[in-house]
Amino acid sequence: MAIGKAISRVEAGDKVTGAARYTEDVRVAETAHAVLLGSAISAGRVRGIDTRRAERAPGVLAVITHLNRPDFAAVPPTPYTAEGRMPLVDDRIHYAGQYIAVVVAETREQAEHAATLVVVDYHRTSPVPTLDAALSQAYIPRENGLARVPSEYRRGNAEAALAAAPVRVEEEYRTAALSHAPIEPSSTLAYWEGDRLTIYDSTQSVHMHRPLVAIAFGVPEDRVRMYCSLVGGGFGNKSYSWPHVFLAPMAARVVRRPVRVTISRKQVFTGTGHMAATVQTVRLGADQDGRLRALIHDSVNQTSFIDDRQETASAITPYVYAVPDLYARIRVTKVNTGTGGAMRTPGDSAGAFALESALDELAHRLGMDPLELRRRNHADVDPVSGRPWSGKQLLACYDQAAERFGWDRRNPEPGSARDGDDLIGYGMAGGQRTEHQRPAQATVDLTDDGTAVIRSSMVEIGGGGLTTLSQIAADGLGLPTAAVTFQHGDSALPAAAPTFGSMTSGSTGSAVKLAAADALRAAIDLAVGDRRSPLHGADPDDVVAHEGGLRLRDRPGDGESYRALLRRNRINTLRGDGDFQPEGEDAEHAMATFGVHFTEVRINRYLPRVRVVRHVAAFSIGRVLNAKTARNQAQGGIIMRLGAALMENQRPDPVSGRFISPALTDYHVPVNADIGEIDVIFVEEPDTNANPLGARGLGEICAVGICASVANAVHHATGKRVRSLPITPDKLL
Amino acid sequence: MRLNFTVNGRAETVDDVWEGESLLYVLRERAGLPGSKNACEQGECGSCTVYLDGVPVCACLVAAGQAEGREVRTVEGLADGDRLDPIQQAFVDAGAVQCGFCTPGLLVQAHDLIERVPRPSDPEIREALAGNLCRCTGYEKILDAVRLAAERKAGAR
Ligand code: FES
Ligand code: FES
Repeated sequence: MAIGKAISRVEAGDKVTGAARYTEDVRVAETAHAVLLGSAISAGRVRGIDTRRAERAPGVLAVITHLNRPDFAAVPPTPYTAEGRMPLVDDRIHYAGQYIAVVVAETREQAEHAATLVVVDYHRTSPVPTLDAALSQAYIPRENGLARVPSEYRRGNAEAALAAAPVRVEEEYRTAALSHAPIEPSSTLAYWEGDRLTIYDSTQSVHMHRPLVAIAFGVPEDRVRMYCSLVGGGFGNKSYSWPHVFLAPMAARVVRRPVRVTISRKQVFTGTGHMAATVQTVRLGADQDGRLRALIHDSVNQTSFIDDRQETASAITPYVYAVPDLYARIRVTKVNTGTGGAMRTPGDSAGAFALESALDELAHRLGMDPLELRRRNHADVDPVSGRPWSGKQLLACYDQAAERFGWDRRNPEPGSARDGDDLIGYGMAGGQRTEHQRPAQATVDLTDDGTAVIRSSMVEIGGGGLTTLSQIAADGLGLPTAAVTFQHGDSALPAAAPTFGSMTSGSTGSAVKLAAADALRAAIDLAVGDRRSPLHGADPDDVVAHEGGLRLRDRPGDGESYRALLRRNRINTLRGDGDFQPEGEDAEHAMATFGVHFTEVRINRYLPRVRVVRHVAAFSIGRVLNAKTARNQAQGGIIMRLGAALMENQRPDPVSGRFISPALTDYHVPVNADIGEIDVIFVEEPDTNANPLGARGLGEICAVGICASVANAVHHATGKRVRSLPITPDKLL
Repeated sequence: MRLNFTVNGRAETVDDVWEGESLLYVLRERAGLPGSKNACEQGECGSCTVYLDGVPVCACLVAAGQAEGREVRTVEGLADGDRLDPIQQAFVDAGAVQCGFCTPGLLVQAHDLIERVPRPSDPEIREALAGNLCRCTGYEKILDAVRLAAERKAGAR
């Protein structure tokens, strides 16, 4: 069995030799380079824009503004079109950094130089700079047909139950705006041949984004070919088509040449979304024995003046604990900032900070162990639908992680543990993420040299999908993983589920599994019907895949290799089709992924910088497809959220609302020197209720609950409750 | 201007280089070596790290002209033909590669560390790699890889 094995990723060799080709490494003859000029103000309009000097600068081919741009054919639907307003359509400015001109030149350097020569006359209006400034204007957005979650959810009468509860916690929690900050800046290369558009785009899904480009330019979808084989990290910012994706084909039309747009590092911060800041209130009511009676979770996030994008912080809350009376609401409010976008893990990471912090406060008030409090409120079935879970090993996660961590050594008294000048704190928190599945297609070709080829449009973003899906096909056909190759990242291939929303394993993986089974079936049918095969006349159900060929289940000696079978029949390839269709709403089971985190922090009494010295997490995600890539991915997700807990903050300027730290030197992400030991446990249980493969997603659940776990440990260490992220030293002085 | 330099052991002459170009730009766009990555162009991330006369530098901060007559070694020049350098092999084996965009720069930096300090301590590794950002792995596996490569190299000596 290849599945479950800890094998190295299949594309690692290319990645360590520099041979791997990312979007910006694709070379097409005659490519011109575009640079995007961003607005210097955050609200107002462009009164005038003088491009004459720029147009005369060396190498410049065109300067495109709202005054001379070609029209878009239509506005493609949000949310996968990141902004509801198409770029350059008018003179309005809604946020700092919004693109107001595209400068195209022979080289990128020339375009950059020319962009400095564009003179803009702005008409300023007064911006709404921050979430706080806009809080009183919060509203529930009108239903967006594509939104997955309702803006409001109610069961029972939460207000009455809260008033009647003997113990209550009512607090406000805040999360900062965050940047995905992937190391690869987004890049798009586009060229037209008549009405055919070829586009290389650093996207998390060629099949989700191709239709958007087709609609924007008014060409049939099959005239657009979108490629993306490798993405240099995305974490959600490449799950949308941001304005540059539309500006590259536009510029290519104007200059009649291939055009590349690679956004600058600064524009990664302003032009590809962020996780919006939130203000949340959580109100909990409980019995003396810790049973939750009421839960109210209210969230407001900043959005832009052009979109109503929700950071769905309280969306998961109704599903997590067995609370009879509950109310959850998600509102937005408009700020002169760019539109937010889904960032690992949308909604749930921010929401878990509030909910799991409040639970810790409740445990403290009750004098109860926080882990025990969660055990007492465990949701045995989905509290929203009443359906059983497809699989849930959360209690086992609690047990195993607590034991590994040494939770029983914790003295509940805050400030009780010390080591010299260090205060030591132990904290814990839970996490949950609704499991999403999408239709996915793949084919698997068995070839007459005894190898197999997977074809599916999946993009490899770093999560290891190429490897785990190769293992799946290898297992299905009885081949070593090395005998499987993967054609991917091309919209001409069968449509994979997008590489976001943790859907690669469950959805695309299931399609590959079905395709491999179909190819196997075709090979078996061929063999049993072939007089010259040793398997001729056998019952197809008795034939199994084994070591590069087929054999009888009970008589291992009788069989032949795929190679021999196909060559004898003069067949080059036998194709298997895989079409995975999730069950959807009427499924018998509710599906989610679960996790728990335990954190040890150390805080120097005199310089209260929080150091996470130890973190243990356990996850319930069904079957683990590749222990090595899974562990890597989980550790990465945990560290990303440790950044959100301790340092990351896209701070807005209080006057203009512009992000004041759009550089990696100012926007601190965790580096090598910041990190302690991180231990990850998977409590496995093949979940065939969820899909044929038995696997649920990992990429997102791994990043839910960490901030609360840290904040709870900080409280344990110091007695100080920090309710706003990040937990910087100034908040502990 | 014309630029003459040696890259990965091969003499290279490139023409029409504009004064304002960086060494990174020349490597990626003119010398056919896109392995070194352009991720910030301002010295913040380390993805573009290459050897310049044996010293690791951020190629995005080196003006092309500064490479005149000098020796550059990039990620493409670490392996010995088909045989990966121990640091490359260790990154593969330890699972230190996820999206891979930070990898080329990290490899050069880590390669240099082990050359200088054959058995680096953990703080030495963290210190040496602190200028190289990785957003995927969380570094744990990168540390493992450096330790592994150092061990293997020492064992082979
Ligand atoms: S690209 Fe040179 S340091 Fe980031
Ligand atoms: S592996 Fe993705 S940034 Fe390091």
